Amino acid sequence: MDSQTTIPATSGAFAEGMHLPKTVQVANVNHYFGEGELRKQALFSNNLDVRRGEIVIMTGPSGSGKTTLLTLIGTLRTVQEGSLKVLGNELQGADRDLIVRLRRELGFIFQAHNLFESLTAYQNVNMAAELVGLDPQIAEGRIKSLLTRLGLGDRVHYKPKSLSGGQKQRVAIARGLVHKPKLILADEPTAALDEKSGREVVTLFQELARDEGCTIIMVTHDNRILDVADRIVNMVDGNIKSDVAVQETSVICEFLKGFPLFADLTPNTLSEVADKMMVHEADAGDVVIRQGDPGELFYLIRGGSVDVLIDDGTEEKTVAQLNQGQYFGETALITDEPRNATIVAREKSIFYALGKADFRVVLETSATFEEELRQALFGRQ
Amino acid sequence: MNTPLAWKNLAHNKVRTGVGVAGVGFAVILIFMQMGFRGGIERTATQIYDALEFDLMLRSPAYLHLTEPRFFSRMRVQQAASLPEIAHARPFYLGLSEWQAPIRYALPVGREGEDPKDPAGQWRGIITLGTDPNDPGFSREDIRQQARMLTDPRFVLIDVKSKPEYGPKQGTKFSEQDIGVETTLGPERIRIVGLFKLGTGMASNGACLTSPEGYVRACPWQTIDDVNFGLLKLHDPGQGEAVRKKLAQIYGIPLHAAESPEYDKLDAAMLTNSDVEILTRAEVNEREEYRWVVETPLGQIFQLGVWVAVFVGVAIVYQVLSTDIDNMMSEYATLKAIGYSNKYLTNVILQQSVMLALVGYVPSLVISWVLYRLVENASGMPMFLTTEIMFTVLLLAIGMCVISGIGALRKLFQADPVDLF
Repeated sequence: MDSQTTIPATSGAFAEGMHLPKTVQVANVNHYFGEGELRKQALFSNNLDVRRGEIVIMTGPSGSGKTTLLTLIGTLRTVQEGSLKVLGNELQGADRDLIVRLRRELGFIFQAHNLFESLTAYQNVNMAAELVGLDPQIAEGRIKSLLTRLGLGDRVHYKPKSLSGGQKQRVAIARGLVHKPKLILADEPTAALDEKSGREVVTLFQELARDEGCTIIMVTHDNRILDVADRIVNMVDGNIKSDVAVQETSVICEFLKGFPLFADLTPNTLSEVADKMMVHEADAGDVVIRQGDPGELFYLIRGGSVDVLIDDGTEEKTVAQLNQGQYFGETALITDEPRNATIVAREKSIFYALGKADFRVVLETSATFEEELRQALFGRQ
Repeated sequence: MNTPLAWKNLAHNKVRTGVGVAGVGFAVILIFMQMGFRGGIERTATQIYDALEFDLMLRSPAYLHLTEPRFFSRMRVQQAASLPEIAHARPFYLGLSEWQAPIRYALPVGREGEDPKDPAGQWRGIITLGTDPNDPGFSREDIRQQARMLTDPRFVLIDVKSKPEYGPKQGTKFSEQDIGVETTLGPERIRIVGLFKLGTGMASNGACLTSPEGYVRACPWQTIDDVNFGLLKLHDPGQGEAVRKKLAQIYGIPLHAAESPEYDKLDAAMLTNSDVEILTRAEVNEREEYRWVVETPLGQIFQLGVWVAVFVGVAIVYQVLSTDIDNMMSEYATLKAIGYSNKYLTNVILQQSVMLALVGYVPSLVISWVLYRLVENASGMPMFLTTEIMFTVLLLAIGMCVISGIGALRKLFQADPVDLF
């Protein structure tokens, strides 16, 4: 038998990169504000893993706890309950020295630029470079190329007074990046920027993530930059409502679209379906479904391959082989009959499975959608 | 080369730094003046002693301070003269007499008193010095020369540093024009036969010099055998202690008293029933200082003034630094967030404090020097800008700024990077 897990298909847990170390591990973190009577819980048993090189965008209404979680990860708050590991260091009960040392590995980009008015752009950025003991010559090269990259090549030695809001923000971004941090924590980094420089900043983020394995966690409401996210974490009222690997969700949607009954679904509905799928694992030789059993799940092959065997009463014959991206188990759900074939894993395989009830709902939605569409088209005439 | 954040912050906000420097400067000038006044008081009496020639001084154990020296028997000086180690033993007379400002005959008779500021005919206390014109007790050659003119008890030299209230012809100070003028000193008529230059600081506003006979005329409560000081000049100044012991034996002063470490502090009259005590020059200066600075409220007033000035400075610098920190709270918090320790930030603030102190100190030193000269000219009080004062004030200025910096640090420690998000 295959083993069902509680891991959502869209978490990306079984996508590429699963072998990379985890930069951030948040486990059962609760956080409270206030004391005694006024004590109010801000975070409710948050769980979040972020792997090396991932770009995570955190969204959610204000007051949903995303900034609280970000500051906890950034060592700016004390972890009260649960476990929080950053770059392999447990923050729960960490001492002052560890915190100061860890902070030098992080890059902070704040909503406000907080530049020293008395220092030039170069000197402001250099404050971060000096701290990690970067060789002055290397630091100089990095600072200049970063500032040039951010469109400030001709303003390296300007003081903040002679820079525009966007330019100051870009200096602050350079300060957050100059010491090659392993983890960048950014709060609305592009809010003060126009589209072009905002794009330049996120492209830079992507390069850092890709080339240097830098992990980036960003709180933003700027939907112009959502496309760079590897993962989108949505928070509501202190809970992580969804934690979706964008790439994996899109893969699932593509697969689902290949299923004729789902072909007409909008991307929105498809991603909702993807959200409801759970991960199943099977080793070589495991029977995933057995002919004659009642049908409960619809399967999508994420990885590996399976044989389809049909017992015609005399012998069991392999009638087909299914590979990645293909699906099985839908007939029993549609017709409400027992399984008409046996599926055996040929190798170690990963499936994304959708429950019967959810499957039915989707089918109805699909019909409704089509119906609605017809009505709409009809109404045009 | 690390970014000199402290210096940059100061150099950037010129107005606030200017206020800070002005504040430090104000406080530093105040400290300088208070210390100058205090020094002036210390030097008040020693100014006269510095002009006298002696290695050991005899005086009455009842001596209070310069203008109340009391007197003792002239015999004691003659006894000292008998010791072979002593080169000169000179009696010296010093007391407070009364001087009538000379009537200016140039003015029409009857009109001389019309100007309320016109001192003509008014009586003033004056320090009267008496010394042998043939062998004056002064070490300064100019005074020794002038003293030779005192060939008659009626002849008097007037100190050119005496105030205008003593009635100089010029109106401001005594000059050649006053030579030959006659007036009254104590109960007797005298004639000004010359000038000398001494200055008496806080003790009195004026001084005059005459012969022992002239002194007794001016101060009739003393006879020629009642001397105020015995000035002993040794062949070898290094023998002071040995000579003192010999003299103590001659005078019957118990030796244990002279050797007791408490000797300086206690009233010598209580330790001995002798009519004279023997002091070295250092002891004379020290006791005079102790008298003026510790025993009278004058020294305490200026001492307190120093602390008030320091306090004012601390308040001003604290205000400047804490406003600076307030304005840069989020910048400092950012530094903390990116991993700068409190130690680094503490350093930045303390560097700023010390820089403020140094930048404020230099111009204040120059201004204070000018003010010292002004005060000296206006009041006649000796004001010396000694290296000791300069160094002490520099230390006080730095200490003042560092204390303010430490006070302002509390604010810095409150900078919380969490507030940045």
